[in-house]
Amino acid sequence: MIAEMREALQDVLGAEISEPMLLAGGASKEAWAVDADGEPLLVRRAAASVIHRHTLSLADEFAVLEAAHEAGVKVPRPVRYIADLDGREAFVMERLEGETIGRRIVQREDLAAARERLPEQMADELAAIHAISRSAVPFLHAASLERMVEELDEVGEPHPAIELGLWWLREHRPPPREPVVVHGDYRIGNLVVDEHGLAGVLDWEFAHLDDPVRDLAFGCVRAWRFGVPQKRLGGVGPVEPYLERYNELTGLEVGLDELDYWELAGNVGWAIGCLTQMQRHLSGQDRSVELAILGRLGAEVEYEIVNLLERFAA
Amino acid sequence: MSERPTAQELTEAILEFLGGEILPTLTDRRLRFRTLVAMNALSIVHRELAALPVGDDAEQRELARAIRAGDVPPGTLRRVKAEVQARLRIASPRYLESYDEASSE
Repeated sequence: MIAEMREALQDVLGAEISEPMLLAGGASKEAWAVDADGEPLLVRRAAASVIHRHTLSLADEFAVLEAAHEAGVKVPRPVRYIADLDGREAFVMERLEGETIGRRIVQREDLAAARERLPEQMADELAAIHAISRSAVPFLHAASLERMVEELDEVGEPHPAIELGLWWLREHRPPPREPVVVHGDYRIGNLVVDEHGLAGVLDWEFAHLDDPVRDLAFGCVRAWRFGVPQKRLGGVGPVEPYLERYNELTGLEVGLDELDYWELAGNVGWAIGCLTQMQRHLSGQDRSVELAILGRLGAEVEYEIVNLLERFAA
Repeated sequence: MSERPTAQELTEAILEFLGGEILPTLTDRRLRFRTLVAMNALSIVHRELAALPVGDDAEQRELARAIRAGDVPPGTLRRVKAEVQARLRIASPRYLESYDEASSE
């Protein structure tokens, strides 16, 4: 397979290709590192099954990456979409240097200076993402809170804490904002970080049209603070400089209450996500202990939901 | 109370992992033998769990249904929190401990 892939890449890119190295074999996507005439590239290729019904195809994800690159967002330079790379859909992009493991971004000592810059840099990139023209990505669909309810009902297990979160979200909905192009999974674990801070935004498969504040608050969800829960923005810093900078760039005047609301929504979404991942195992679609155990670890997210609700009620 | 995956479903997942992914990589004969024995022990647990009565989640279902319908009387949050804590003491006791420590700081 590796030899076939190398040959196919050689043909498509017209360059001397090094032996592909598998970096990560997720359930839905593979990532391969290759060099083309010495230039470091990354090949994102479909794997056997699909992680989530609502993710973009690789063709659409590539188009979003192109639009983001065009709009000046820090992303790996898109190189080429390949409909058939040794039997599966794939695309090629620049391979950025830097740390991509969330826990290491949050905890590596030599990234301390980078972390100080991250809150404002994350706001800069998010403001640029939200400014991407919708006409550049006309295939993106709008998401809604109601879809979370549908996903929960598909799992069919009773979870009163999640219901309570959904109830609160229905009762306290802020006035809707004009939907924009959102990343959909904007958190520390989807960034490339080097010693200067944010070097690139990765993983665009959840991009869609939505309330911008939902995207803004997603990086605050406790599950992605990687062992540093007191730093609300992804375990790297306080949320205030991030929010101020975002407001300054977009003129949206988002307040802390609205951020709270969407942070709760992010937690509710991830609590349901844990259950749908578990369901992939139980249904036999994708048998794995990692997916199975998420069904139980979702209780951690539910605990955050009830604690947030307690705080909101105080 | 019952929760998914059930304990039986979890042992099944671990058995599949050990048999499908770990066992084929083991070349040391002693380690291979000991792994087979461990899998056999886990199979006993799996069958023993299968013989237990199925957990009852009727109360949880009723509570979830009521909240969905907007019926959220005072005390609901406290009740739900206690239920999540009970599940966490099984699923992730260290998380519960560190969460509560961080909140009281």
